[in-house]
Amino acid sequence: MLDVGRHPNIELMAYSEVEKVEGEAGDFKVTVRRKARYVDEDKCTGCGACTEKCPTLLADAFNMGLGERKAIYSWFAQGIPSTHTIDAENCRQLQGKKCGICKKTCQADAVNFEQEDRIVELNVGAIIVASGYEVFDASRVPEYRYRDIPNVITALEFERLLSASGPTGGHLDRPSDIAAKAEIAALEKKAKKAKKTLEKLEEKFGESSSEFFKHYEGRQYEGDEDRKKWADRYMEYLAVAEPLEALKKKAEGFTVAKKLAFIQCVGSRDLRFYPFCSGYCCMHSIKEAIIAYEHEPETRSVIFGMDIRAVGKGFEEYKIRGGNQAGISYVRGRVAEITEGSDRRPVLTYEDTRERVVKSEAFDLVILATACVPSKGISALAEILGIELDEFGFYKTDVSNPMDTTRPGIFTCGCAHSPMDIPESVAQASGAAARAAQILLESEMRKAS
Amino acid sequence: MSKEILVIGGGIAGIQASLDLAEMGFQVKLVERLPSIGGKMAQLDKTFPTNDCAI
Repeated sequence: MLDVGRHPNIELMAYSEVEKVEGEAGDFKVTVRRKARYVDEDKCTGCGACTEKCPTLLADAFNMGLGERKAIYSWFAQGIPSTHTIDAENCRQLQGKKCGICKKTCQADAVNFEQEDRIVELNVGAIIVASGYEVFDASRVPEYRYRDIPNVITALEFERLLSASGPTGGHLDRPSDIAAKAEIAALEKKAKKAKKTLEKLEEKFGESSSEFFKHYEGRQYEGDEDRKKWADRYMEYLAVAEPLEALKKKAEGFTVAKKLAFIQCVGSRDLRFYPFCSGYCCMHSIKEAIIAYEHEPETRSVIFGMDIRAVGKGFEEYKIRGGNQAGISYVRGRVAEITEGSDRRPVLTYEDTRERVVKSEAFDLVILATACVPSKGISALAEILGIELDEFGFYKTDVSNPMDTTRPGIFTCGCAHSPMDIPESVAQASGAAARAAQILLESEMRKAS
Repeated sequence: MSKEILVIGGGIAGIQASLDLAEMGFQVKLVERLPSIGGKMAQLDKTFPTNDCAI
């Protein structure tokens, strides 16, 4: 990433979208919209002082909504470019309210609320479209209750929990526990505020609230308006403090997730959704289970799948290593249903097809290996580029020219082409680069001869 | 005839294609929809089968 940012032959246009493509191979005219960041790319040093002071808290999409970000933010800490961006829809100032704290904080004077989108015209000889993929929406599988059971998560969400730079700092906290901790924090804030009010009243009347309340309940102060207010405040405090204590007690028992279930082929190899194999998910689950084990040696993982597809250099060995050294066991069978048991633990019902027995088992956390599916914007982009899509919605290519799209001079690679893992994406990218270079060199050679 | 090449998408595939072309001496314009490049790979903690850091 860093190399892209500083290579003299690469001009990086982040936060931009292609709007129009005209012309033909060797001579395309491309219109690009450079969306307004409301932050000057040349001035912003990426220090993050603005983010610290911004009062607006939002769900962090980079962390799959598990963490929070501000309305002025960097996509992720090591992002290239490091220029911060204002989320115009959620920024107080840009929504017409009074704020502008980030502008006051910025020492580089980079914040510019007047910035507008810019249109840039490019003239290029060839185009490579590597627009990527999206993970399958797991809530479409009703029997897995992804939206209803908090401790059923997707592989990418699990990835963020494992990450040291993620919302939990790499601890495998269960989402239900994360939510409970957030609730404790919110209640504590409320309780603190209520207590402050009570303290003032206690000082005024020279008596502790609990003592006073006993007398009050004994009808000692009938008709006393001030004391009635005090009693009301005290009852309000109790309404917060009591559930807070109960939650805190419960939170003492929270531990990291140690018993993990991975469910393969969620959305792929399923005729209700996508018939294809997404290719990387078997290895991805094994990797996640190994990393979880490295974080916490008591971790035990079960991978549920029809078969484990470890096709690639060093992959089969990796699978065996996971089984022998990282507490992974492999169960052949598709999980029929997930329900929620005691202590918010998901319960899996499945048939172990090797033993021919239907079983039920509770886990701390269930991770769904979601399919690799075409991104939502792909059909709009295909229309702009004037290229066709295949039956599933990836870019259409030909078996004998796998990097060529249906329009000469436009090539594709990576998961916009079809589901694949990182090594294959890299190999394809080099292939697409070679094809694009050919277009430019061919005409050059024609000129020379 | 333009000597420039446009790469759409700054994930691992777009990054690799851009670097290859830049190393060959072509001028590359890399367009990314999001505020930073990196794509899905940047969201991964480690990668198989070597458990190398993804970023």
